[in-house]
Amino acid sequence: MFPFVRRRMYTSALPLVIVLLGVFLLARLTGDPTNLYLPESATEAQRAAFAEKNGFDQPILTQLIDYFKGVLHFDFGTSLRTGESASDMALRAFPATLQLAVTTMLLAIVGAVIIGCWAAYRPNSLADRFSSLLSMTAASIPDFWFAITGVWLFAVLLGVLPTSGTDGGLSWILPIATLMIRPLGVLTQVVRGAMVSALSAPYVRLARSKGASDFRVVSHHALRNAAAPALTVAGDLAVGLIKGAVVVEAIFGWPGIGKLMIDAILQRDFAVLQAAVLLTAVSIFVLNIAIDACYALLDARVREPAKV
Amino acid sequence: MSPAPRITTRRRALAVAIAGITVAATGCTVANSGHSGYDPNTLRIVLSQEPPTLEPCESSLTSTGIVVRSNITEPLIEREPDTGELQPLLSTGWRQTSPTEWTFDIRKGVTFSDGSPFTATDAAFAIDRAVNSELQCNVDGYVFGDEKLKLSAPNDTTLTVGTESPDPILPLRISFVEIVPRTTSTTEMVREPIGTGPYAIADWEYGQKLTLARNDRYWGAKPTFARAEYQWRSEGSVRAAMITNDETDIATSLGPEDGAGDLGVPFQNNETTALRMQAGEAPLNDIRVRQAINYSVNRTGIVKALFRGLGEPASQLIPKGVVGYNDQLALWPHDTEKAKQLVAEAKAAGVPVDRQIRLIGRTAQFPKISETIEVLQSEFTEIGLNVKIEMMDTAGQLQYQLRPFPENTGPYVLMIMHGNQAGDAAFTMDQYMLSNGPQSAYGTADFDRQIRAAEALTGQARQDAFAKLFAEEPQQIMQMAYIAHMKGILGKSPRVEYTPNSATGDEMRLSEMTVAQTARTDQS
Repeated sequence: MFPFVRRRMYTSALPLVIVLLGVFLLARLTGDPTNLYLPESATEAQRAAFAEKNGFDQPILTQLIDYFKGVLHFDFGTSLRTGESASDMALRAFPATLQLAVTTMLLAIVGAVIIGCWAAYRPNSLADRFSSLLSMTAASIPDFWFAITGVWLFAVLLGVLPTSGTDGGLSWILPIATLMIRPLGVLTQVVRGAMVSALSAPYVRLARSKGASDFRVVSHHALRNAAAPALTVAGDLAVGLIKGAVVVEAIFGWPGIGKLMIDAILQRDFAVLQAAVLLTAVSIFVLNIAIDACYALLDARVREPAKV
Repeated sequence: MSPAPRITTRRRALAVAIAGITVAATGCTVANSGHSGYDPNTLRIVLSQEPPTLEPCESSLTSTGIVVRSNITEPLIEREPDTGELQPLLSTGWRQTSPTEWTFDIRKGVTFSDGSPFTATDAAFAIDRAVNSELQCNVDGYVFGDEKLKLSAPNDTTLTVGTESPDPILPLRISFVEIVPRTTSTTEMVREPIGTGPYAIADWEYGQKLTLARNDRYWGAKPTFARAEYQWRSEGSVRAAMITNDETDIATSLGPEDGAGDLGVPFQNNETTALRMQAGEAPLNDIRVRQAINYSVNRTGIVKALFRGLGEPASQLIPKGVVGYNDQLALWPHDTEKAKQLVAEAKAAGVPVDRQIRLIGRTAQFPKISETIEVLQSEFTEIGLNVKIEMMDTAGQLQYQLRPFPENTGPYVLMIMHGNQAGDAAFTMDQYMLSNGPQSAYGTADFDRQIRAAEALTGQARQDAFAKLFAEEPQQIMQMAYIAHMKGILGKSPRVEYTPNSATGDEMRLSEMTVAQTARTDQS
């Protein structure tokens, strides 16, 4: 198991460097941040002094080398906007996103398993068609529209939920619902499809012939074998949640990494952007390794290299 | 058959471990953070963005100034928002003691929120730190430019400020400097300052909430609310929903379509929108084309249909109340036929009027900007010009707004929005009308001389000279097509009494907010 994880870590290092390089270069292609940070009436001398102070007067290659040197010493630079350490800002924001993403994913998986199994147990029934319609609708709704409509309906019109913020448990409902709707729709479809196949497999017929209850057939025999495709899709969706929390965090004032990144992009706050992207990339690599490890646990063929 | 149960056990153990690590790592830091319920002594405010810093010398930044100015820190002199008149604050009086020196009388009995006394030494320190230091303070560039000041405090209640050349509006410039104690760092900016204002910072949960508490040492009248709690939401519709849902008392920067309804209070702000024409390139280097663009703009229609009446069609770059405003200047007429005729004349004279012109706008600069840009494109196309829309984010648009302008761009017309916070036309003229002004695309040496001459005047002569320049600019230069003096919308709960003014967007004085006598909130 550990050699497997070690192999995956080695193979993840190169993409990580490429991501950092890409973000560094693309960010600088968007232009000089000087105009954003100095008053519109700043003189040319003041602009030159700002560029010199922050290293923007150096060639890109020099800036890149300095940045990678800093990264090797865990120095990710200072925010132009706040003057704080960029890594402190990213680390402070990350748990909020992680909390949101983990809770959302757990709820989406539980919901998808229940609805997917229910639909697959009676294929083409009214329940199946209803759940298919529901899941396809959920997978297609734009999250921005859903969030704003949710605020209008549940906060303004009905007054049962807060519009936004992080005060109390009720404030979690709309952000999680917005973030969950797409994964729930997609996962429900996947679980349903996998369960329909599994429930018609010979081992399920055998289990039934041995007198196993419906619940046991579904939960212990069919669902276990339907888990692999669901795990694959859930992994991709979980990665998407970490990346895609931007809209939810911006609308609901959730102080997470997505909002931090979008603010950093708009403000050309390169150090914060790079730190946030690095942290997100590392977490995605860790997540991918965890998913692969789960595969390895489920399937010995993945765990051990093929021997011929 | 023994391996199967073992794998199952390992899998379960892994799942439990991952769940445990996740909970431990996230630490439940977000849920319930700062939940305090409704408190009638707390004023709740929602802004469009978190202040990046509360450094007082950065208070020319809207997102910083709206919290800091006259709440946490105070200047020596404050400007009356609607008239621009200067009023005593930490300075009780001021006078010009020589052509290059002003003397300020410092108020006695004032202390900072940390208990240290305020004297002229602090005032000299704060101005020196903001203007002469290497901190690159926003207020330095915005108000003082390259100017260096000579400061001295001969005693605790007297401050003298020397300038390199005579400066008739030095007190106005000084009104932009927020005063901090002499113990403040001169090598680094501070995020959480000490000041003499009616409030002091109580708690700042970065990313979530900023709380100010009443400064019990405040020298002036005690403000009504014991605490002020700032939050921030980037979506205007969410800020408006917070007002209608009674989650906040004040919501800033709302648009007419955000849905605040009757709780949205319109107010005249300092901003004026205009199109700046880059007159260096054909066809915009021909004054007939620039005049045609002006004739084609239906200002009244834009204000009525797009801004829903939240604004006034503009004939100049400054609004009423700013020194130099010309109240006799009529709107440039909307005359499509005349515009077509001018374009045809220019074409006949060999001007390449069919060359593509870029119409550049900044996304979300003001409500309905996209629709405004589309209407303008349609109007320009109708008179025979070839116009392409380009919407950019702030950083992208600023490259075209500020010198040095990008090269080889082709002709472009830029949507700008100018706010004269100072209340004096010199700040506008220097920026947009001088031929080498940081935001000016075109000018003449003769007009530059007239601007400099006006800036040396004081009183009514100054007002008249600037008003004359605003009338002459379209005849001599025609760099701009003015659109509207804008209005903002402030969301206001019925429980709060407050009248927004033209400075509210930049400086929202909490001490002016009181509890409304006719309304109450029943939240608990």
